[in-house]
Amino acid sequence: MNASTLVERERRESDAFRLLERTLVRRRVAGVDARLRVELAALAALILGFLFWQVRIPLDSLERRTGVATVAEVEFAGLAALAIGGGGIAFARHTVRLRRGPGGPAWLALPVTPRALGRHLAWGSRATAWLALVPAAAWVLAGVQLVPAWWLVLLFAIFVWMLLEAARLGCWLAVRDAVRRAEPRSGLDDLSPVLVAARRVRTSAPLPAAHWRRQPAWRALLVKDLVVTRRPSPARQRAIAPIALLVSSAVAWALPIAPALAHALAFALGLLTAATLAEWIIAVAGTDPFPVLRGLPLGVASVWGARLLWAVLGSASLLVVQALCARALHPMALQVLLVWLGAASLAIGALGANYAVTLYPRVEHAQRMLALSLGLAIAASLMIPLVGWVLVFTALLHSARRLPGWSRQEAF
Amino acid sequence: MLRIERVSRRYGDLLALDDVSLEARPGEIVGLLGANGAGKSTVLRTAAGLQPPDAGRVLVGETDLWKDPVAAKRDLGYAAEEPEFYEELSVDEYLAFVSAVRGVDPGAARARAADLGVRLGLGERSREPVRRLSHGMRKKTSLLAAVLHRPAVLLCDEALEGLDAGAALAAKQELRALADQGAAVLFSSHVTETIERLCDRVVILHRGRVARTLERREWGAPEPGLSPLEREFLALASAAPAEGAA
Repeated sequence: MNASTLVERERRESDAFRLLERTLVRRRVAGVDARLRVELAALAALILGFLFWQVRIPLDSLERRTGVATVAEVEFAGLAALAIGGGGIAFARHTVRLRRGPGGPAWLALPVTPRALGRHLAWGSRATAWLALVPAAAWVLAGVQLVPAWWLVLLFAIFVWMLLEAARLGCWLAVRDAVRRAEPRSGLDDLSPVLVAARRVRTSAPLPAAHWRRQPAWRALLVKDLVVTRRPSPARQRAIAPIALLVSSAVAWALPIAPALAHALAFALGLLTAATLAEWIIAVAGTDPFPVLRGLPLGVASVWGARLLWAVLGSASLLVVQALCARALHPMALQVLLVWLGAASLAIGALGANYAVTLYPRVEHAQRMLALSLGLAIAASLMIPLVGWVLVFTALLHSARRLPGWSRQEAF
Repeated sequence: MLRIERVSRRYGDLLALDDVSLEARPGEIVGLLGANGAGKSTVLRTAAGLQPPDAGRVLVGETDLWKDPVAAKRDLGYAAEEPEFYEELSVDEYLAFVSAVRGVDPGAARARAADLGVRLGLGERSREPVRRLSHGMRKKTSLLAAVLHRPAVLLCDEALEGLDAGAALAAKQELRALADQGAAVLFSSHVTETIERLCDRVVILHRGRVARTLERREWGAPEPGLSPLEREFLALASAAPAEGAA
């Protein structure tokens, strides 16, 4: 193959990948529905606002003490750290993708050069580095009016360049690491053995022996939920938050803060525990494969009962933890806390169980309905105290009325 | 006994089932034959309780499936064309869960799962998570879960597709054994050879309607039993089960 043919081939290949990447970006953006876009924007704004205030005050005092130049230096150091962090994210993402298989078609079956393929795979992993943009924006905004605006623009441009380079470096390091681990094969390029190894099925020790037990359907579901949550699954990911928040609500009582503040913090963390428990209930119900669940002689009572029981168990755990950690409270105050927290967490958990059943198998819809209901309740309570609870109980009753329709629901 | 009476089902503008009536009597294996898109899977999904019909009804024994689904499904087994599972559970854990929900005696269920698992070639994989199984292994697991409780009505949607020859033979033997014990089996396939050898009666679907019903005597040979290729395969594998099984 002569040089001009090679050049022509490389040009065609890189055009094809560029077109593919543009199409992928368009499809992925279009795939995020409008509501989720608003939610993501709100989340980014929240993070940005939080970080802005965390950085703004120290920078302000720094400017008063040492002047503009020091603030600019700190800004630069922070942005450099964020760019390195972005590169770290790209490295981690690329390492995982190369280890588990990068997704997409059977790349090794396609007549593409390893160079072009490597570039395309790194492009996919590098995208995650852009997550660093949100904290970087907060960092830059925190310097507004403390350093000249054009300095900030320049710093941000330098940050973008550093982020791109750090992400490139991260992906390159991930490839080198993967090549080092892969079994070398003579006559093959560096990337092919990595992709071959990624495709290989990994073996591991067998799972523990099954328990063949006579038990009612609701208990079989309950036990199955527990087993599924202990294994790598979406339900396990959702289980981490309520456990962490439950522990945090206990720790709140031990913090060196005013008792009234500890009380409020523990109550708020308790409510968050209940909300994330409700999310887990929806997630674990969502792992039920539709044809399995609907092919079995299960009524709505068993399915709903098993999930409601998780809400009850969660609320009970929360109350036990609070009762043990808040012993310093006056008995009457403790009683009030436990009654409020018990009723609230049970209501939120039951709402999760209702949505898990009535919106099955549309897990995402159920999660959004829960977030919407609780979000509205918080907003209502902020405007008129306690009205939020009226909303939660209304949602609970409304969703409970839809439970009997469970047996006629269809998969989409 | 399974009776599907005047069932219609529409997906948007597409009339998938148009006034379909058929029955599978106890001891009978009824084949459901038709081209892709003829409505075979829709019939079976409706009969399994996965989607309600727009009109008509499904009777399992004397129980209306859509009026008393829990009671009807106790007597039903359903092996799906594209089976879904709890991917995190092992084959055994999944079967133990299914048999517990069905109220099967745990000891009997375990013994039957072990026996059938060996015959279907699943024995060594029974403690692996389902997500690691190949398509054929998943089909075997689905079939095993469907027959574990010896259902009075068994629905098989392309249940033998993707199975190796030995497992397909064991599966056919199990279906015949269930029918001999009085089960009504509704078996869909687009492979006529399988239906010819396995079924006692055939219902041919065409564009969502029952086009024809044929008794075995109407299509004559081949008789139930091993095909020449199956004989060759078994001779090679040195694991030939008794002939005469379906």
